[in-house]
Amino acid sequence: MNSTEQNARAEQREIDASVKWPVLVFLGSGLLWLLLGGVFQLAATIQLHTPTFLADCAWFTHGRLAPAAQNALVYGWGMNAAFAFGLWLMARLSATTLRHGGWLFVAAKFWNLGITLGIGGILAGYSTSFELLEMPRYVGLLLLVAYAIIGVWMVTTFSIRNTENVYASQWYLFGAAFWFPWLYSIAQMMLIRTPVRGVLQAVVNAWYLQGLYGLWFASIALAAIYYFLPKLLGKPIHNYYLAPLAFWWFVVATALAGGSRLIGAPVPVWIPTFGIVASMMLALPLIIFCLNFLGTLAGRYGAVGGSLSLRFMVLSIAGFLLSSALGLLLSLRGFAAIAQFTLLAGLRDWLMFYACFSTAVFGAAYFFLPRVTGKQWRSTALIQAHFGATALGIVLMIVCLGAAGWQQGHLLNDPAVKFAEITRGLAGWHTFTSAVLGVLLIGHVAFLINFIWIACPINSQGTAAAQIAPPPALGLAAKEGHA
Amino acid sequence: MSQKPDSNFQVEQAAATDDSIQQVHAQLRSQKPEKKDGYSLLPLALLGIMCTAVFFGSIYMAHNAVRFDPLVVNEHAKREKPGKSTGPAVTRAQMGKPIYLNTCAVCHTPAGTGVPGQFPPLAGSEWVKGNEERIIRIVQHGLTGPITVAGHEFNNTMTPVGATLKDEQVANVLSYIRSAWDNNAPEVQPETVAKVRGEIADRKTPWTSEELLKVGGN
Amino acid sequence: MKNGLILFLGVFATMVLSWAGVVLAANKQIGTLPQFKDPVDESLNPQPYSGVANQGRAVYQDLGCATCHTQQIRYGDDGADIKRGWGERASYVRDYLRDETTHIGQSRLGPDLRNLAKRLPSGAEAEYLYKLLYAPDSKLGGEPLARGMPAYRFLFEERAITGNQPSYKAIKLPSSHAAPAGFEIVPTPRAEALVAYLRSLADTYDYPTERGLNAPAEVPKEGGKEAPKEGGKEAPKGGGH
Repeated sequence: MNSTEQNARAEQREIDASVKWPVLVFLGSGLLWLLLGGVFQLAATIQLHTPTFLADCAWFTHGRLAPAAQNALVYGWGMNAAFAFGLWLMARLSATTLRHGGWLFVAAKFWNLGITLGIGGILAGYSTSFELLEMPRYVGLLLLVAYAIIGVWMVTTFSIRNTENVYASQWYLFGAAFWFPWLYSIAQMMLIRTPVRGVLQAVVNAWYLQGLYGLWFASIALAAIYYFLPKLLGKPIHNYYLAPLAFWWFVVATALAGGSRLIGAPVPVWIPTFGIVASMMLALPLIIFCLNFLGTLAGRYGAVGGSLSLRFMVLSIAGFLLSSALGLLLSLRGFAAIAQFTLLAGLRDWLMFYACFSTAVFGAAYFFLPRVTGKQWRSTALIQAHFGATALGIVLMIVCLGAAGWQQGHLLNDPAVKFAEITRGLAGWHTFTSAVLGVLLIGHVAFLINFIWIACPINSQGTAAAQIAPPPALGLAAKEGHA
Repeated sequence: MSQKPDSNFQVEQAAATDDSIQQVHAQLRSQKPEKKDGYSLLPLALLGIMCTAVFFGSIYMAHNAVRFDPLVVNEHAKREKPGKSTGPAVTRAQMGKPIYLNTCAVCHTPAGTGVPGQFPPLAGSEWVKGNEERIIRIVQHGLTGPITVAGHEFNNTMTPVGATLKDEQVANVLSYIRSAWDNNAPEVQPETVAKVRGEIADRKTPWTSEELLKVGGN
Repeated sequence: MKNGLILFLGVFATMVLSWAGVVLAANKQIGTLPQFKDPVDESLNPQPYSGVANQGRAVYQDLGCATCHTQQIRYGDDGADIKRGWGERASYVRDYLRDETTHIGQSRLGPDLRNLAKRLPSGAEAEYLYKLLYAPDSKLGGEPLARGMPAYRFLFEERAITGNQPSYKAIKLPSSHAAPAGFEIVPTPRAEALVAYLRSLADTYDYPTERGLNAPAEVPKEGGKEAPKEGGKEAPKGGGH
């Protein structure tokens, strides 16, 4: 037993070592984009209540700054972080080292170059004005090439796996790695390279957005949750036999639910109707996810207090459930009539991207960075600050955007209320949002500092070597609530 | 079982190896939780939810997709396809309204009230509601001289507008004024317009009200 | 799912199903939708933008106006768009044929703009729009022209008045925002294009086919919703069409 344990550990150390540099490069560049994007987003939100802020500079007019912020966060932070985590987890679960990782540096460079050109292009006025596809056309090919390398690496690592069994996280990672390039390339072709006619563009855009948030970000977050719950609790997933059903139902329903973003839009009415039906179908996988996740956590909430990654995973689960619930609500025509063009729709996407996906990656990073670098986290105060800021920020943002969106929706639907009144009423909420974004930014800075300490060789003298105890094997008997 | 939680968070300790996770869950895949009474309610409940979702989803699609018609954007539109008629349900009066607003409303006003002393009203006008051949003539060649409309005297000249309008457009605009503003006269057909135009083709000057009163019965 | 092949096929099928079911089907239906030929006067609708207005559409896109403004009017049941006077009818698919890049927007931090041209003060449309772009916080009847909207001063040029009088293009501004003495504010070509575009934002034509097909059903739906109001019978606003 001991020697196999030793062998297992050595292999794992090899795996972790093989992914070390690609992961650090992706995560590091992601964190820089997180900060830059966060600053842009904060500035754009300030512009909502103080329109004179940066208004004189064409580069930072709100219509350019807000999309630039979104793209920086989604493609700069979100995708880079997803790559870092996805590559590590896929290698781990495939029990194989990442081969020829040097190519991933090329990919990272191309990706970040593409994003830089793209954000610069948006700010300079070459936006395509499609939500989350605003980056100018010359960027698309660059990003696809970069992604091709990364995607191929993820898929190949899966296909050369040493394990007999394929775990839930691997389904989600494989799926996400496969779907994204198709979503992105089709959207680029149909919207930017050879644009389709008229309002069909809006349909393609909605389809892309649904796929990006549901098939990429949500999938990666689910992969993280499925992995870390048993990993950190030492207990198998509750009702795991339902997980394959949840997987297929979730991805098919999400893939078809794009139309639910187009309720009331000037498109053939079967498109939003179909999207609504598909969206409602998501209720079933949600129930199964609740059984899987909350069932596994049941009775173990004490352990959550002691484990940082688990805390983030719990936040991620909450974010996922809330975002999905809000998505279901927004698919109801009556609710959509009120909430359609308001901050509530933005809240749904923000929850999926930040409260679900970003927190999952934060939690994962706190777990794998010591293993990948061999060092400990240097400052627990900063860790507490990061977690506290993130948790507080999420709660406040839900309150803020929820209340603001609800108020905005009701006022918009009251024809007696002049538009200026609505703007006046929302100004306070926008100020609140700016404050919350500031809080989140502080948390991110704390994380970046810790990251630099753990990752950069120059400073690692002060960072102690990580003491990682070999974990026991997961037992079936443990599922009945043994300690 | 677990080791003491590291409350300093400097390193997350794992509680299970990766391969054991994969192995155990692979076994769990085929295992349903045992229940004392021999069957598990959960799969049945989920099956019920699935069926309900599919059922209600189909009904919703049937009600709100409106035949998957590409031109329909309103989910409350009529679900039956409009009959194979020559076209959409548009009346002549509806088609005539924009012509009226563009051409006639300048003088006769959009509400058909006219301007007292200058331009006769069309709302409630017996000329409008009466014999259509008269108003076709007026539109075609204009009108000059004194005319009594709804008890009021007018003495002005109306410019002819017929040259720019096709038969069908004349029929439409006349149908409009005959059905708008509480006027309740039947619509005018393009064939009538064509016939009348044929009859009066040689005329060059505007009509007078005496000439028009001789046209047709009263 | 031990078999990686099944996973791959399933994942692939999901993508194909999604693309075919949503995008391809929609493309077949409305991807080649033609303009509508009016049965009576034989005009093709929607009529394309003028060249300057089309350039203005590109300026609209580059400045990211769609971030805060939508360009879609929803049906009466789906919100108060029509009651607010943002349009006389709901937007149809065909309305957007004239837009090379469709900006239907997804956020209403600012009002809907699809029929903006119909809400401008008649006779002073350009003047109003220039003032709106340059100084949205200038007051009109005690209220700012556009509360919360940023100013787009970089679309204008402040230059010295040459000769005895200001250029005919100089925009008129209230004293709170007027140019310093001896200077005038003149729109750049981008501003002119943008204003031309904004002035052509009006869906004027009421397609008979769409109007007929979208006419609401008279019977209330089984969800207990109230009978929807007739869509085509609003009283006209003023004399324009």
